[in-house]
Amino acid sequence: MAKADTVLIVGAGPAGLEAARTVAELGKRAMLIETKDQLGGTPYAYYATLTPDLQETEHSMQEILDAVEHHSAVDVRLNTRVVHSEGSLGAFHVTLDRDGAQTVEEVGAIVVATGFQHFDPGRETQMYGYYEYDDVITLVDAEKMFKDGNIVRPSTGLPPERVAFIQCVGSRDRQIGNKYCSKVCCGIASKQSIEIKRMLPNAKVFIFYIDMRMYGFWEDQIYWKAQEEYKVNYIRGIVTEIIRKGDKLLIKGEDTTMGRPMEVLMDLVILSVGMEPSKGTVEMSRIFQIPREEHGFLQVIGGPLNTVSTPVPGIFVAGAAAGPKDIEDSVSMGASAAAKAVGALKRLELEVR
Amino acid sequence: MPSDLYTEVSFEEKQRLFDQVAADPRYKNYLYGCYECGICVAACPSARFYDFSPRKITQTLAREDVDLFYEQLNDDVWNCSQCFSCNRCPRQNSPGGLITIMREVAVKNGLRTTKEALAGYTRIIYKITTTGTQVSPDMLQEDAFPDWGPQVKEVSDNLDLWRRALPPETLHTTGLSWQVEERTMNELYAIWKMTGTLDMIAELDEGLHDIMEEIMDDAIEESGLLPG
Repeated sequence: MAKADTVLIVGAGPAGLEAARTVAELGKRAMLIETKDQLGGTPYAYYATLTPDLQETEHSMQEILDAVEHHSAVDVRLNTRVVHSEGSLGAFHVTLDRDGAQTVEEVGAIVVATGFQHFDPGRETQMYGYYEYDDVITLVDAEKMFKDGNIVRPSTGLPPERVAFIQCVGSRDRQIGNKYCSKVCCGIASKQSIEIKRMLPNAKVFIFYIDMRMYGFWEDQIYWKAQEEYKVNYIRGIVTEIIRKGDKLLIKGEDTTMGRPMEVLMDLVILSVGMEPSKGTVEMSRIFQIPREEHGFLQVIGGPLNTVSTPVPGIFVAGAAAGPKDIEDSVSMGASAAAKAVGALKRLELEVR
Repeated sequence: MPSDLYTEVSFEEKQRLFDQVAADPRYKNYLYGCYECGICVAACPSARFYDFSPRKITQTLAREDVDLFYEQLNDDVWNCSQCFSCNRCPRQNSPGGLITIMREVAVKNGLRTTKEALAGYTRIIYKITTTGTQVSPDMLQEDAFPDWGPQVKEVSDNLDLWRRALPPETLHTTGLSWQVEERTMNELYAIWKMTGTLDMIAELDEGLHDIMEEIMDDAIEESGLLPG
């Protein structure tokens, strides 16, 4: 006799937060599990501002954080991880671990929203020297500096005069094993280039890309804006190698649309690292027996028409755990997964009567 | 991106010319940004015949690539036919308009390559500036256009007669494409003078400039169009 009235949501990023809020608003109880000691997930932890409007992350996410934290039907569990699961739709028995103390909770349905992790540029096939050169950093490292309101060359602590972004690091690369596009890095690099030009109007900022993927409103809100208002240089051609030259970095590539090889000096190189399934996502695949699709993310059934149902009845996925997603897609999936999870519990109630 | 051409010219000089182009009041309406789609090149008649790309001109200016700009200012801008087919740009750039501005800067600054590119056009510059009409019938000389065939000689021998056979009286001309009113011509001279167009020629060809200036000054003075 299934009676569990609670939906377990694993991961408190944008997708998990929206899932928790939606479950509560639809009249069921949400139990929101997060391994870290704060809500908000990867954007909140690592990004100073968000695409496409360049608003401060903390400010932008305050509303949803408040809604979840203060909702009487949402039970937030920080510093907690899922370590085991048994049972099925209507009666999952999930073992949670908080600092070694384990409890078993009975929940009716589950939303997995464990997200992505940034690609580690030490695992590259290109020779970018992330762990070798101080002035080769990632989008995430740049955001850390933005949080402090500046951007400098780590080697000198001085502002850079020439900055290069290299796109598709860890994405769209058979040699690396990630054949997919990570969707948001073009937008984030463009957003960051605008922020750098706002802080350093005289800096020259270059974005080396394969294809610019600025879908929907990002086209004019970020891409055209960076080009037209901030004179950011978009150069089609991917850098093959970075070499130290004096105290500068020499980058080698091809300026493909101008039809010539190029070797230019930069003060700072920012690697646009893509998305991979997070450790939590891989772990949840194992614990909940959710198959992974060919790129390694959690599988959904129904292709484009059902983005949240996994092959396991009663288990749904939201956000970047199912593949690269921007925040708007993650939030939409969170609400959709919550609605489907609550719907599954409602169907059980009807069957019981 | 560094260019391996014109390395003898200082970066500061290239930057100075770039700044002149960018300071033109038309510039901001001719250049937004370029995503390198190539529609301008696809539409461009010159691109079919020359190694010429309105896209590269636009891209270079959008990138503020001063070295490449200088290369194009010397080597590319005179390959454009100024037909403005490129104005179909989806970003609403005008590559042809940008080239107009670049040409004007090249002429005003008397670039060596510009003088070379325009050397063959001295007579046309003279004709259009002093008369308002371009190719006149008396320029149709047999030796100038051998590929037009033997009838050119016959026509040029009796040019005056042929022209008078044309119905509109304004075409009974040989030194002009058509009869231009004296007042129209004087107004044209005043415009060339006042807008600085005549001065542009000074850097290009001083001799030509002086000849034209004399013609215009005399005509303007006689007409009383401009005070003093």
